[in-house]
Amino acid sequence: MFFHIVLERNMQLHPRHFGRNLRENLVSKLMKDVEGTCSGRHGFVVAITGIENIGKGLIRDGTGFVTFPVKYQCVVFRPFKGEILEAVVTMVNKMGFFAEAGPVQIFVSNHLIPDDMEFQSGDVPNYTTSDGSVKIQKDSEVRLKIIGTRVDATEIFCIGTIKDDFLGVINDPSAA
Amino acid sequence: MSSTCPRRHSRAFPPILHRTLPLPSFFLRDSWFWIQDLEDVSLLSSRLEFFADVVRWFWIKPRIGGFDPRLLKNKKINCLLFSSTLSLVRVMSLATNSPAHSSSSDDFAAFLAVDLDSHSSDSSPDEETEGDNNAESVRIKRRKVEKLENSEEDIMHEVEEQSLEVLSKQQLCSHPGSFGNMCIICGQRLDEESGVTFGYIHKELRLNNDEINRMRNKEMKELLQRKKLILVLDLDHTLLNSTELRYLTVEEEYLRSQTDSLDDVTKGSLFLLNSVHTMTKLRPFVHSFLKEASKLFEMYIYTMGERRYAFEMAKLLDPKKEYFSSKVISRDDGTQKHQKGLDVVLGKESAVLILDDTENAWTKHKENLILMERYHFFASSCRQFGFNCKSLSELKNDESETDGALTTILKVLKQVHHMFFNEVSGDLVDRDVRQVLKTVRAEVLEGCKVVFSRVFPTKFQAENHQLWKMVEQLGGTCSTELDQSVTHVVATDAGTEKSRWALKEKKFLVHPRWIEASNYFWKRQMEENFTVEQTKVEQTKKQ
Repeated sequence: MFFHIVLERNMQLHPRHFGRNLRENLVSKLMKDVEGTCSGRHGFVVAITGIENIGKGLIRDGTGFVTFPVKYQCVVFRPFKGEILEAVVTMVNKMGFFAEAGPVQIFVSNHLIPDDMEFQSGDVPNYTTSDGSVKIQKDSEVRLKIIGTRVDATEIFCIGTIKDDFLGVINDPSAA
Repeated sequence: MSSTCPRRHSRAFPPILHRTLPLPSFFLRDSWFWIQDLEDVSLLSSRLEFFADVVRWFWIKPRIGGFDPRLLKNKKINCLLFSSTLSLVRVMSLATNSPAHSSSSDDFAAFLAVDLDSHSSDSSPDEETEGDNNAESVRIKRRKVEKLENSEEDIMHEVEEQSLEVLSKQQLCSHPGSFGNMCIICGQRLDEESGVTFGYIHKELRLNNDEINRMRNKEMKELLQRKKLILVLDLDHTLLNSTELRYLTVEEEYLRSQTDSLDDVTKGSLFLLNSVHTMTKLRPFVHSFLKEASKLFEMYIYTMGERRYAFEMAKLLDPKKEYFSSKVISRDDGTQKHQKGLDVVLGKESAVLILDDTENAWTKHKENLILMERYHFFASSCRQFGFNCKSLSELKNDESETDGALTTILKVLKQVHHMFFNEVSGDLVDRDVRQVLKTVRAEVLEGCKVVFSRVFPTKFQAENHQLWKMVEQLGGTCSTELDQSVTHVVATDAGTEKSRWALKEKKFLVHPRWIEASNYFWKRQMEENFTVEQTKVEQTKKQ
């Protein structure tokens, strides 16, 4: 799920960035530092949408660095148990398949793939129904349900299932 | 009564158990609290500040590391309380087959006996708290209360019975494996690390042995249907030879200007990989070898190198990821140090062939191994193995494309594959590639009777020598006595008695290398190429 929230961060800035463009420098550094990172509490920071407020800078003793408390609005992404997600399949093997929804890695075990889908190895390993009408392979897009999540300092892992109504392939690359 | 239970006193209790704690309303004496959904959990969570400590230390500790109230879902909690002090909280896991279970119910019974005995006068009414519990738990509790006066064994029995009852009602997840410490089926957090890590597929993926076996059996059926076996390939000295850039000798510097472009790796064989600081030479014929072998085998790469290096090499060998997609196993993925094992390979041992140059790495799977002649292209690689000769690179030479080691081995592989599917009788699943390999190997020196002369140290038990065993594996026979049936005399010196006998009787007199070469090439070698030279003393005498 995506959230639009306000976060705060203390930014250290080198004195060479001071001057007319201080604010721009601070913001670009913030984007570089924060976007794409992951925190256990909020999930992935997808994008910074705006700066709420930049506090007064404080010069660190001994170095010339200045610390600014910056409040910024950002879009974060955090998967939840029970959530339905759309994801792109990255790897298919006999244990199941791996998919990615943005930065989140999801594993769908073969136990959680409908029983009528069988693993087919070969050049392009895939799961196919007996009549061949539905095929999951690398780059397929699937709709899945999250049944477990683990949020680390830098990564988010999920267990997903497609063994439920209205779940499964939503776009087949081989058909296109 | 307490004397029957010395354990209670000898056990080191954490301080929290001695603290007097406020009594939560639903934790009444001997009530079963049946946690079925997250609502129950949230109800519990408010009480969990103290509860967590007790539980963490006590019964769930071996199974669950940190405490998370969600972990209590589908678990039965039994609390024994007396005079507003929490004395025991028991959480019963639904997994019956866990070995901890029986011992915990044992302990539990002992505790129960003590606690109930000493506080039987203490009667706390707990009916009003049962409102939101279901009828089932009320029934269990009732029965429990009735049993209070019964003996220890009865209570133990009761506990087991209840857990069985619960089992039949709840769907059970055996947690066959985990991804990021979550069960791959139910998504529950598993803090205990068990099973084998399949780091080469995904660093967070682990599977238990049962699941691996299930996979293997399924995989086998499918493979055999497609008439394929499994082939595990080593990288260094088998398919290619690499050297660190700083070990390039002066004579090899010319190679830097001859490296092939990385744009189309199928065309070249010598590559400079700055990212891993190596120069790599692919063994001649390797591309054709892989192409041919992929028709008959599912192929894995298994190397003692680092993962990054392994992936770089896989890119060179298989740029389109046709052969080894997610089947590159490196040092980091093995389960034992300095050993390679088939436990991370998803194939039955009876259908796996291994191609490697180091026999010692596969101590458990020698029967699956096809030993390769080492490929030394670079000087550093020669030196590493103690050869003082010029390397192929220094001689500006290379193995032959048409009858090099890989060409020979490919023929052997084809033969083994053919025999496995066409000549062995019996059900496909029961066939064993190791037996086939043995048969093929035993044809190499068939009909040869070998006598060794001054090859082994005098005190050495001849039957245990590597060469002796090798000859027997290759189908030849060994002897210590000379007679007319002997076909070959193996010696390093033509001046020995047996050597002279061989010359006189017109038997083959060969160098021990003849055996080794036959072993590597899976073919009886021309004896003329392995003649034994006279030592200098003999030669000067003759002159």
